Amino acid sequence: MEVTQLLLNAQSIDGTVRKHAEENLKLFQSQNLAGFLLSLAGELANDEKPVDSRKLAGLVLKNALDAKEQHRKYELVQRWLSLDMATKTQIRAFLLKTLSSPVPDVRSTASQVIAKVAGIELPQNQWPELVGSLLSNIHQLPAHVKQATLETLGYLCEEVSPDVVEQEHVNKILTAVVQGMNAAEGNNDVRLAATRALYMALGFAQANFNNDMERDYIMRVVCEATLSPEVKIRQAAFECLVSIASTYYEKLAHYMQDIFNITAKAVREDDESVALQAIEFWSSICDEEIDILEEYGGEFTGDSDVPCFYFTKQALPALVPLLLETLLKQEEDQDLDEGAWNIAMAGGTCLGLVARAVGDDIVPHVMPFIEEKISKPDWREREAATYAFGSILEGPSADKLMTIVNAALTFMLNALTKDPSNHVKDTTAWTLGRIFEFLHGSTIETPIITQANCQQIITVLIQSMKDAPNVAEKACGALYFLAQGYEDIGPNSPLTPFFQEIIQSLLAVAHREDATESRLRTAAYEALNEVVRCSTDETSTMVLQLVPVIMLELHNTLEGDKLSSDEREKQNELQGLLCGCLQVIIQKLGSEPTKYVFMQHADQMMGLFLRVFGCRSATAHEEAMLAIGALAYAAGPDFAKYMPEFYKYLEMGLQNFEEYQVCAVTVGVIGDICRALEDKILPYCDGIMTQLLKDLSSNQLHRSVKPPIFSCFGDIALAIGENFEKYINYSMPMLQSAAELSAHASGADDEMTEYTNSLRNGILEGRGGDEDSDWGVGDLADTLGSHVGGLIQQSVSSKEFLNECLSSDDHTIKEAAEWAKHAITRAISV
Amino acid sequence: MADDGSASNRRDPIKSSVGNVAGQRRRQQAVTVAKERRELLVRAKRLCRVGTNGGDDEDALVENEMMIDEEQPVLEAQTIKAVEELKSAVQSQGKGAMQKRVTALRELRRLLSKSEFPPIDAALSSGAVPLLVQCLSFGSPDEQLLESAWCLTNIAAGKPEETKALLPALPLLIAHLGEKSSAPVAEQCAWAIGNVAGEGEELRNVLLSQGALPPLARMIFPDKGSTVRTAAWALSNLIKGPESKAAAQLVRVEGIVDAILRHLKKTDEEIATEIAWIVVYLSALSDIATSMLLKGGILQLLVERLATSNSLQLLIPVLRSLGNFVSVDPKAMLTILIGGENTEENVINVLAKCLRSEHRVLKKEAAWVLSNIAAGSIEHKRMIHSSEAMPLLLRLLSTSPFDIRKEVAYVLGNLCVESAEEGNARPRIIQEHLVSIVSGGCLRGFIDLVRSPDIEAARLGLQFIELVLRGMPNGEGPKLVEGEDGIDAMERFQFHENEELRVIANSLADKYFGEDYGINE
Repeated sequence: MEVTQLLLNAQSIDGTVRKHAEENLKLFQSQNLAGFLLSLAGELANDEKPVDSRKLAGLVLKNALDAKEQHRKYELVQRWLSLDMATKTQIRAFLLKTLSSPVPDVRSTASQVIAKVAGIELPQNQWPELVGSLLSNIHQLPAHVKQATLETLGYLCEEVSPDVVEQEHVNKILTAVVQGMNAAEGNNDVRLAATRALYMALGFAQANFNNDMERDYIMRVVCEATLSPEVKIRQAAFECLVSIASTYYEKLAHYMQDIFNITAKAVREDDESVALQAIEFWSSICDEEIDILEEYGGEFTGDSDVPCFYFTKQALPALVPLLLETLLKQEEDQDLDEGAWNIAMAGGTCLGLVARAVGDDIVPHVMPFIEEKISKPDWREREAATYAFGSILEGPSADKLMTIVNAALTFMLNALTKDPSNHVKDTTAWTLGRIFEFLHGSTIETPIITQANCQQIITVLIQSMKDAPNVAEKACGALYFLAQGYEDIGPNSPLTPFFQEIIQSLLAVAHREDATESRLRTAAYEALNEVVRCSTDETSTMVLQLVPVIMLELHNTLEGDKLSSDEREKQNELQGLLCGCLQVIIQKLGSEPTKYVFMQHADQMMGLFLRVFGCRSATAHEEAMLAIGALAYAAGPDFAKYMPEFYKYLEMGLQNFEEYQVCAVTVGVIGDICRALEDKILPYCDGIMTQLLKDLSSNQLHRSVKPPIFSCFGDIALAIGENFEKYINYSMPMLQSAAELSAHASGADDEMTEYTNSLRNGILEGRGGDEDSDWGVGDLADTLGSHVGGLIQQSVSSKEFLNECLSSDDHTIKEAAEWAKHAITRAISV
Repeated sequence: MADDGSASNRRDPIKSSVGNVAGQRRRQQAVTVAKERRELLVRAKRLCRVGTNGGDDEDALVENEMMIDEEQPVLEAQTIKAVEELKSAVQSQGKGAMQKRVTALRELRRLLSKSEFPPIDAALSSGAVPLLVQCLSFGSPDEQLLESAWCLTNIAAGKPEETKALLPALPLLIAHLGEKSSAPVAEQCAWAIGNVAGEGEELRNVLLSQGALPPLARMIFPDKGSTVRTAAWALSNLIKGPESKAAAQLVRVEGIVDAILRHLKKTDEEIATEIAWIVVYLSALSDIATSMLLKGGILQLLVERLATSNSLQLLIPVLRSLGNFVSVDPKAMLTILIGGENTEENVINVLAKCLRSEHRVLKKEAAWVLSNIAAGSIEHKRMIHSSEAMPLLLRLLSTSPFDIRKEVAYVLGNLCVESAEEGNARPRIIQEHLVSIVSGGCLRGFIDLVRSPDIEAARLGLQFIELVLRGMPNGEGPKLVEGEDGIDAMERFQFHENEELRVIANSLADKYFGEDYGINE
């Protein structure tokens, strides 16, 4: 059967036909890959074929070049590279030809496929003529082809890294893109494609932004595009500005006045989609300045690469009123919709960032607005005033805010009980939470919560927990931060007299019928956790009484069967929350003097956790694992009795590549268990080590899990001492290859750098863990020292690796490396 | 790839649900707690996170394991700022200056106490030490002394070169150890000095030459709980050797032996733990100290501790001390052994308790003490042989990890021979013990040791094989050895690079498994 029919059948509404076609496509692909890809490309390029078969041909071709999973992607890249050159040349030609098709969808698909091929081939120095041939006669092209070419350039910039494209080509791409954006370009499709392409190409423009003339030109064109009559072009142009704000912050001084005017106009007058991007520009500027100021403490700008230009501070008198105006544009039900995002929300979020960037200076600009509107009859004005107040509580100093907050507190408590508007109450409760988060705690000199008002605050919050779910949720949040502020309080907590009442109320909230709305139940349990975590010994009896209550709740969630998938999901979420709650309680009670009474529940609790594993929900599994880790630490060697049954779940967790968070948590729990069981873990070590080594060598497992595995080697070595010797021959090559990986990774992207950093940390901890001397055991170094030492000395590259770490900027690596160096020197000198 | 070609920039709203952050934070915290526990296992120096003057501080911290590490860069920036504040506070004069200094010190101390990785580097590079030294000057108010000593304590808990940065502060820290200082100040200074001493030989020598030892030693005379504990810990760091002169200096401090014995006798386990570490080093490094302590009846105290305590932290130094004393003076042990033979505090039974323990370390230390006792007189050997420790030892030889197995092998081996006298190459065998131990099934364990790459263990195994070949009645030795694959184990040494082992193995093979072997079958 010819490929057109197969592709059409694969989209048939008749399931049998579809299935049959899919099987045939697979068969074709497996029997003759080159022929298959070639016929797909031919199909895509052929203007006589139906649009549907062409689009699917392009999609299948694209999926043959890229995949989400790292290992699959790698396979596909290798497969493409190994195709014979003749086939590839033909496919490329088909793809380029498709760009001039009259059918827009087909052109767009071809653009994406070309970018994927480029993503594979350019780093290998193949297809070097691509950029040249795309740009060769761009000026003479008909509009639709020009649009497709620009779109292709955009995708190409998104797909490949800047260092594989020569500067000469970059210049050509940018020239074409910026010319396409120019107001002189009459065709809106071309202009839009060019603006979106610039967004992708900004990362390539480093050299061009360093050149004053080129930068001026690019900025002028972008700013002009923000004034285009076409809304999509304006939005795309503002997106470019947002990206420029974070990528080229230090080059912006010259343009800020103009940009302010443009963004102000957009925020006040333009479509919401455009206004949101204009606000986002200022949020990004704040992000940059907050980072710079946090990193270098403001006064030390001399040392930093990028100085702070204080754009936010300079814009303050005009920017703050602009943002305050947006706060009045609330939507009726935004508090009930978790995914809501509108101009008022964006404006408040930006205001919060401005407060963090400028500190005290924001206060006088916001106070008049608050004072004027906080008691107005229109709920919008009261809500906006409260929201403004809540937004600026992080950033300004406690000194600056204290009098205002003290005066506002009574008003807020009153509004939370009496205001007729659900919105106002929601925002008021949130603002109270912010007050407690930032202005209450051991570091604040004059407390805002005193003996005089503590009772009133708690009473109001508890009462609000009976309000509508969204308000109750915020009240729980306020209680969460209220409790957190007392975490360093010492033996006598002001919350003690209310402890029982608070716990009862939170449990009652969690049991409300509408508790699944507005994430109320989650907030109630997390508040409960925080109240327990920050409680003192005075209330430990009451925490103890909570144990059977939570266990019973967990038990009940395990009983229900025949649930709909929606109910099941809610059930699993609840299980996760309850396991989390038990984890906090275990940490609280699992040490002297409550330990002995508490541990009477251990058997039953362990039984429940094991049943939670049976439910096969990733979140619940993760939480149950963490709770078991805490339980193991509390139980100490006694935990051994649970191992025979628990072991299979450990193994299951370690094999869970799909839900890699579960795998990561399991690795961590093994550490806890090692510390609890010491050498009693020995019978399980062969299994655990085998699985850990498998995990390490798997390219399916998410890479973030691998560094903790190295630390886990250290935990195991500490626990079983010389018995670890038999694993050294297996684990050392792993450490070695990890070291090599991180030495070679040249920081291609941020995520990779971060991974490499955490990987190095793990490796060094793993080695360091082999050392164990001064706390009175002193025999591990004896038994392991000479082996590890020998292996490390032999391997030159691990030495280089260490040296590289020592000269690295990342302080945690440096710290671990210093420690490892110390440990290794000692190990070798044994 | 954004399918509509538009990149939608969208951030999390400032007004968000607490559930999002809280769950994340709670899980993060669980990981942090585990990490701190790991750190605790391998740290030599001690960070001071909670004040030494207990409770009355308005910001006394609790639950140090529950604290969250702040973002390191933030912490560092705050620290640099705090040092700047301190600088200006130190320079300011007149009314309120003192309060300003204390506030600045407290802030710096808070920053240095809150994280498992305190921002020491930032504090040092912004010049904290000279300022702190200035704040330690004589006549300063207690609160100021306390806070600066606390800062210095945590700086000294850092990496080697950070600890070394304390050098200019040492004379004043030592000066404030004296009786004239208030207890919290003296204790905090002792803590700082303990951290410096924990760093290594070089800094210990500096401390000794500046006279740190006598005042530190006198701090353990009174009965004040936490002061004694901190001072004892610092002292144990100061005398830990390998040079013995500090230990020798310590015994010369009048009243020290009495103080040690008194604290060991009292019930506080935490103090006893630190004191026991002092005893470990004294008994290992100073003969005078050993004999003075023995005369004072320390063995009885140690054995009592061993019988009554369940604290691993305490039992380890107690066991080590016992082992040290036994190897120096076996006779003293015999007195105790015979004295307590039928009481609950029978030493051997107490050691058997440790052998039964779940902790590898305790098992190993107990086996080591027993091996020292077993190396003693024939009475010692009989005492062990008839005790409840025997079945345990036999089991441990076949089931325990290598390092314990080796210690156990020493015990069992020693039980089978009379203690070697000068020039007597082949010790006399105690046949009764040998027969019962071999029939307990230990030969396999010894032969396994022969196969070990560890030379010492292999020698031990070969020596035991020699005993079996020579000493088992009716010449049944060779049969037994062959039955447990002993010949094969010995053949590994036929061309071994270690000459001693090669000679032993080859001569045993020649003598007992030569051409005549098996002819009578």
